[in-house]
Amino acid sequence: MAEVRLENVSKYYGRKRAVQNLNITCGEGEFFSIVGPTGAGKSTTLKMIAGIESITHGTIYFNEKPVNDLPPQERNVSMAFESYNLYPHMSVYDNIAFPLRAPRWRMHLTQQDEERRVREIAEFLGIADLLERLPQHLSGGQKQRVSLARALVRKPEVYLLDEPIAHLDARLKFSTQTLLKEFATTYRSTIIYVTHDYREALGLSDRMVVLRKGRIEQMDTPEEVYNRPATDFVGKLIGEPPMNIIDGEVVTKDGKTLFNVGDIFTISIRDDKVESMKRVARRENGRTVSRLGIRCEHINISRNRMSENSFQMPVYAIVHEAESSVVTFELGETFFYVRTRGEEGFRDYRVEEKVWLDFDQDNIFFYENTIDISKM
Amino acid sequence: MSRIDLDHVWKIYPRGDVVAVQDVSFVCKEKEFLAILGPSGGGKSSTLRMLAGLEEISRGTISFDGEAVNEMGPAERNVALAFESYALYQRLTVYENIAFPLKARGMKKTEVNKKVKDMAELMDLIPVLDTYPAELAGGHQQRVSLARAFIRKPNVTLLDEPISHMDQRVRAELRARIRRLHDDLGLTTIYVTHDQAEAISLCDRLAILNEAKLQQIGTVDEIWNSPASRFVAYFVGEPAMNFVEGMVEKGKRAVVATTEGKAVLPYTGTVEEKYIGSKITIGFRPQQVIISRKKIDQGALVGSVRIIEFQGDTSVLTIKLADEGGTEVKAVVEASQRYQPAESVWILIKPDTIHLFDGNHPVLHRNGFQKS
Repeated sequence: MAEVRLENVSKYYGRKRAVQNLNITCGEGEFFSIVGPTGAGKSTTLKMIAGIESITHGTIYFNEKPVNDLPPQERNVSMAFESYNLYPHMSVYDNIAFPLRAPRWRMHLTQQDEERRVREIAEFLGIADLLERLPQHLSGGQKQRVSLARALVRKPEVYLLDEPIAHLDARLKFSTQTLLKEFATTYRSTIIYVTHDYREALGLSDRMVVLRKGRIEQMDTPEEVYNRPATDFVGKLIGEPPMNIIDGEVVTKDGKTLFNVGDIFTISIRDDKVESMKRVARRENGRTVSRLGIRCEHINISRNRMSENSFQMPVYAIVHEAESSVVTFELGETFFYVRTRGEEGFRDYRVEEKVWLDFDQDNIFFYENTIDISKM
Repeated sequence: MSRIDLDHVWKIYPRGDVVAVQDVSFVCKEKEFLAILGPSGGGKSSTLRMLAGLEEISRGTISFDGEAVNEMGPAERNVALAFESYALYQRLTVYENIAFPLKARGMKKTEVNKKVKDMAELMDLIPVLDTYPAELAGGHQQRVSLARAFIRKPNVTLLDEPISHMDQRVRAELRARIRRLHDDLGLTTIYVTHDQAEAISLCDRLAILNEAKLQQIGTVDEIWNSPASRFVAYFVGEPAMNFVEGMVEKGKRAVVATTEGKAVLPYTGTVEEKYIGSKITIGFRPQQVIISRKKIDQGALVGSVRIIEFQGDTSVLTIKLADEGGTEVKAVVEASQRYQPAESVWILIKPDTIHLFDGNHPVLHRNGFQKS
């Protein structure tokens, strides 16, 4: 297994920038995810690591050895793509066995050893009963698992997986995700994993990077990315419902620093948070405006006032989750969300009912304005 | 808006003699939000198409407010439809798209104008009325599609997976909007989906279809706590209900044979006498257990943590039990509780959250249901 390091890596298509100045290290045996919306540069980055895209600037190292000039077959990587790329004339068995037979790796397996390894990975991914079939007789979800099996059957320096479970239906996606995590934990493999689905990245990764338009927004453990998003963009991309992002005016009054959202609510900001609020504040139409971020589980909701900082708002709508509910409020140009879990009567709030809300200030953040938060 | 009755409804496709819907009966009350949930091929789409009038009803009756609609076309039934694909007219502006159903009925221009403006206000579409659909993001387009569906005050609103393929930032918002619109306009809504999270989020009641048959209909709490079959128990909930093989003993307890003897799990409710002493499948939900690092003598199963999947405010543990089969089960824990692989944990299963199954049949019954 290898450590993979990207040093000042950029990719341009003509003048169009796909990724810019990426500095990323994926440690040996690490599960590392690249997350971002369409067009963020995720797949481009992965393809440069694989050697199927050239690198415009910068260097990619495997174990401190530059690989820029090595063609894909000499990098010893295993890949699975969102488009399955199965050989249509070969059975599922032969598709999975293909990397084991490649002369490049000089594996020279006996028939028995090959069959044992193909069966092992096929059984692991729940496709052992498909081995004799041709790809054309498989569903999309089955093809995707065959493609994944083909990538995992060999032990390369690095696994490169691009949306490998995107086309599985929900139930199968979650169970395959667990299998991937088990695979990674068991073999301590270096895995670089591209996904647009934040849930996969949070569940699978040791560390992850969030890309936006070819640049790094945040690189950290899933816990840090979720609990302390570095930017408003990350807050909105990670989590469902997404992080609440609220613009308000910063006002100083009677020695207190207040965060004031129109005539809807005003809260007093705790002393230890004031500096971070002021640091990102901007001037807008003669007023000082700051941007607050808070996740839906950090807003307390009640029919009773909870503190001096509690404020009242009418409920816009209530949607349910299995053991919790999400109460939605309309706030000018945006919505914000409050998750209630377990409390007595958490399903009982009514539309238009005025309820008390209270922000847990241990979990509020202030951000520079880098995204448009008006209703999508 | 209308109450909907399905009375012994069948859909048989003559070619190949396929039974898509078999003897399905249920009621969707006036102003109710009913979700029809099931795996693909379970009969959801055929049911929806029969409700919409896009598909003939092979046997049985569908009525709106007590009046059979079997012979009526889609227009006569006055149903609104919104699909996963928005099906907007690309050459018409947003305004013209929303106005289309009204103009098609020959409504006066001033009246059309007022209605479109009102609906656009409700859906926050005023700023984009003059743009063309292709210029809008997916979430926006779906809102236009919903506005067009709702504008003619339908008797029945039918929604076919309008959200599940959207990205997560838009999903939360569309869910809230659809639920609010349903409440504000007093609609009767039937929502078809294969996505259990989607169904749970919006509905007042849930109808579960599988293999052409109605498996259960009830509130989310009823289905969550008193599933009518092992299939329903497994299908609703993510992660799905855990199943462990065990035995029923006297004294309201189930036991699981373990490597060190047996684990005793007391339960509330009653089991028919004939099951005492026989093998049984014990079910419990990952969302309803309590995980402990300290030994619990009764009411718990011991195991070791194998896999930890972080989800944000919660994590999902995959735990290998110390039962005879080494069964793997899941548990949802608060993410702030950190666990390590190979750590031993006790899974406390509260007596009122245990389910017992003989094959597909639930055999543990509780009077009324109690929310844990």
